[in-house]
Amino acid sequence: MSFTLRSVKVPPNSVSLDEARHRVFDFFRAACRSIPTVMDIYNLNDVVAPSHLRSVVAAEIRKHASVTNPKVIDMLLFKAMEELNNITEHAKQRHHIIGQYVVGREGLMQDTGAKDQGASNFLKDFYKTNYF
Amino acid sequence: MASLSQSSTAFSASFKPTLACSSRVSSLKSVSFSITGKRFPSLTSRPGRFQVSCSAKPETLNKVCDIVKKQLALPDDTAVTAGSKFTELGADSLDTVEIVMGLEEEFGISVEEESAQTIATVQDAADLIEKLVEKKA
Repeated sequence: MSFTLRSVKVPPNSVSLDEARHRVFDFFRAACRSIPTVMDIYNLNDVVAPSHLRSVVAAEIRKHASVTNPKVIDMLLFKAMEELNNITEHAKQRHHIIGQYVVGREGLMQDTGAKDQGASNFLKDFYKTNYF
Repeated sequence: MASLSQSSTAFSASFKPTLACSSRVSSLKSVSFSITGKRFPSLTSRPGRFQVSCSAKPETLNKVCDIVKKQLALPDDTAVTAGSKFTELGADSLDTVEIVMGLEEEFGISVEEESAQTIATVQDAADLIEKLVEKKA
């Protein structure tokens, strides 16, 4: 099996928030550069555009944008690298990718239309994410 | 007679690699044209080593502006000029990196980390793209 791509070595913790920021951007660049491979592996060429996947990755990073502890950032990056490795070494399947990253980004809060029409914009943003 | 034939074969052998080289070069050129989709003038009027700051082609600049607008979800009437900084347009650092990745994909280039740190305005991005595209072609 080709699970040798997984990087089991854990780099030492970031010294400062700045170093953690650099690691986040390096991870983002690595993820963006592997998007063409991912689209090739899972045959997503007709389903989604690379720019959409890029914005999904950016949204995931932004979800934790207010974290200031470098160790927490390192932990999140470790999980992100693990996920990226899983995806690029084809340990996932097409429906995983489509369900988690292409469709249904609202999570469990599906907009049922008639029920939520009276809701204000504030409520809609509140349901979507913590940071608005 | 024998020496003549030998020299003629030597000549033909020496011609073959150059033919192969030239065909390889021409095929490379055609591949690069199909990727970029536009014709470069073979002789630009740029002097020797000088890097003129306003040397980005207008179509490159337009493409960069389009990508920036789409990325930051700006309405169409926002003025995105060459000198506008990304932070002025409402982009944070992650947006800047994402814009650079979008430009990498659009132009088929690869930007190093150090160069990506120095990009602050639309003009910087367009110039860097020009440099990398020329180096690649």
